[in-house]
Amino acid sequence: MRSNPALGILRDVCAWAIVLLFVFPIFWWILASFKPYTAIFNTTPVYWGFEPTLDNYRVTLGGVSRLSLITDEGAAGTVAGGGSSYYSIPSIIDSVIVALGSTVLAVVLSTLCAYGLSRFRFRGQQNFVFWILSQRMMPPIAIAIPIFFMFRDLGLRDTHLGLILAHTLINLPIAVLLMKSFLDDVPVDLDQQAMIDGANRWQTFWLVVMPLVKGGLAATAVLCFIFSWTEFLLSLQLTTQIRTIPVKISTFVTSTGTEWGFITALGSAALVPSFIFIVLVQKHLVRGLTLGSLKD
Amino acid sequence: MASSTIAAPAASRRRSWLPRWLTAESALPWLMPVIALLLAFGVYPLLYAVWLSLQERSRITRQFEFVGLKQWGIALTDPRTWDSFQVTLTYTLVCLAVQVVLGMAIALLLDTERRGYGLLRSLMILPLVVPPAVTGLMFLLMEDAQFGVLSYYLKQLGIIDPANPLLANNNTALIGVMLADIWQWTPFMVLIFLAGLRALPKEPYEAAAIDGASAFQAFRLITLPLLSRVIAVAVLLRSIDLFRVYDYIYVMTSGGPGTQTETLSFYAGRLFTLANFPYAATLALIVLISLNVLAAVFIKLFKVRF
Repeated sequence: MRSNPALGILRDVCAWAIVLLFVFPIFWWILASFKPYTAIFNTTPVYWGFEPTLDNYRVTLGGVSRLSLITDEGAAGTVAGGGSSYYSIPSIIDSVIVALGSTVLAVVLSTLCAYGLSRFRFRGQQNFVFWILSQRMMPPIAIAIPIFFMFRDLGLRDTHLGLILAHTLINLPIAVLLMKSFLDDVPVDLDQQAMIDGANRWQTFWLVVMPLVKGGLAATAVLCFIFSWTEFLLSLQLTTQIRTIPVKISTFVTSTGTEWGFITALGSAALVPSFIFIVLVQKHLVRGLTLGSLKD
Repeated sequence: MASSTIAAPAASRRRSWLPRWLTAESALPWLMPVIALLLAFGVYPLLYAVWLSLQERSRITRQFEFVGLKQWGIALTDPRTWDSFQVTLTYTLVCLAVQVVLGMAIALLLDTERRGYGLLRSLMILPLVVPPAVTGLMFLLMEDAQFGVLSYYLKQLGIIDPANPLLANNNTALIGVMLADIWQWTPFMVLIFLAGLRALPKEPYEAAAIDGASAFQAFRLITLPLLSRVIAVAVLLRSIDLFRVYDYIYVMTSGGPGTQTETLSFYAGRLFTLANFPYAATLALIVLISLNVLAAVFIKLFKVRF
């Protein structure tokens, strides 16, 4: 049925065209990060024929002051920005701390919870799972205010720990559902066999079940990492000293203009870790995102 | 929580001074950390929001005063709330429809063993790792009336009028925002549907081919029913996030022009920044309640089991 070569080529052309259409904005974004100002602000799109520059990366990642660039380049770029800082390495460090912290916390907590949900039955279990899922239904802005006051009282305001807890909270519903779907795939017989052989419940969990869901664990971790790495609103509302990358980028939109060069540079840099991670666990992610709805 | 294990032969042999529901042989201890965290940082904010929604800031003392359901009454008669509700609903339904249909079409297209499609499938999920705030900025730059690459090509194709920039026009601003959402989240649908397609059994298709069914008939009569649960889960997860959309609007239009792109979530956010906490909390709760009802109905209707 698929032997018609013309149809096959047509399919290839369509597939590449559509995928490249979806990749284009990212390509355009990365390209812009190497462009001088004049090339970004051109009324017809500029693909080549501009002088590639690393200035945007030198300012955001290298700590070169923006003013020194302006004096180097004459008037180009003087339209935008004030004295605000564009050096973003501290933001990257903040983002790494928060994303790693909340990933570890979310994965540990959700795995325990998912094991409990997967291996035991109790009354109201469906309702309990729905309750966990419903944690995701509150608009983040509404959680931000009470948590803001709460963190102030607990001394968690503007701390990494505070933001880690907030991101963990956001990630938990999906993480629990994901881990449960992976754990459900491990036959209960294995647990029973291990316990007949004299292992206690904890040993069974740790030594028998865990090694079998490593892939799922990795996929869940990557998803949590990306959610935290890209989360905007809570980071914006809950911290002022600590600025995660998305918040830092949003500060480049200033009252006197938008620093597209720096925005695109930092934005491009921020994509690298997430993309590496997501490609590594793609296979497990695909299985897990369906929340086990693929079984039978 | 009345627990009963599926089977735990070792438990009876183990001596324990703890009641059974506190041991590792029951669900509660496993769930406890998550329950504790959700109670502290999930339930408390919820109760706080409910409390806030029953208050009003006194004009004279600047203190909160209990006013009962007054805020809820205001919300029901405030035309701006209804407008933002409508915007939210439009946004959710249009994005959802486009993402499901487009996602399914692309998934079908990429579901093959032909050479190079592994790479295509990896490239397709790239948009998912872009922070939504960055996506918003990305499309803001591309939709810029003067310098935007997207505006440029749309103008060339005669789809948009040069005098009418996408995001500044009452009728098209919401579309401009939706483009960002659709770009970012269609890959999510593709990812999920591809997983579903890859797990389908081969036999029904062989049988259908023998019976002379067309590819479209096979899709409608075999693929769709078999994928219904996967589609249901994807729609559920996506609707929850679509209905609360905030980032794209914050970055791209701030609800404008006027209030044309103001969603419920964004209206609530704006009220928060204006320090009208009680009314903002009320709107946030309306979002929560709407989603709870929608999700519960949906789960019943499509028999989603976790």
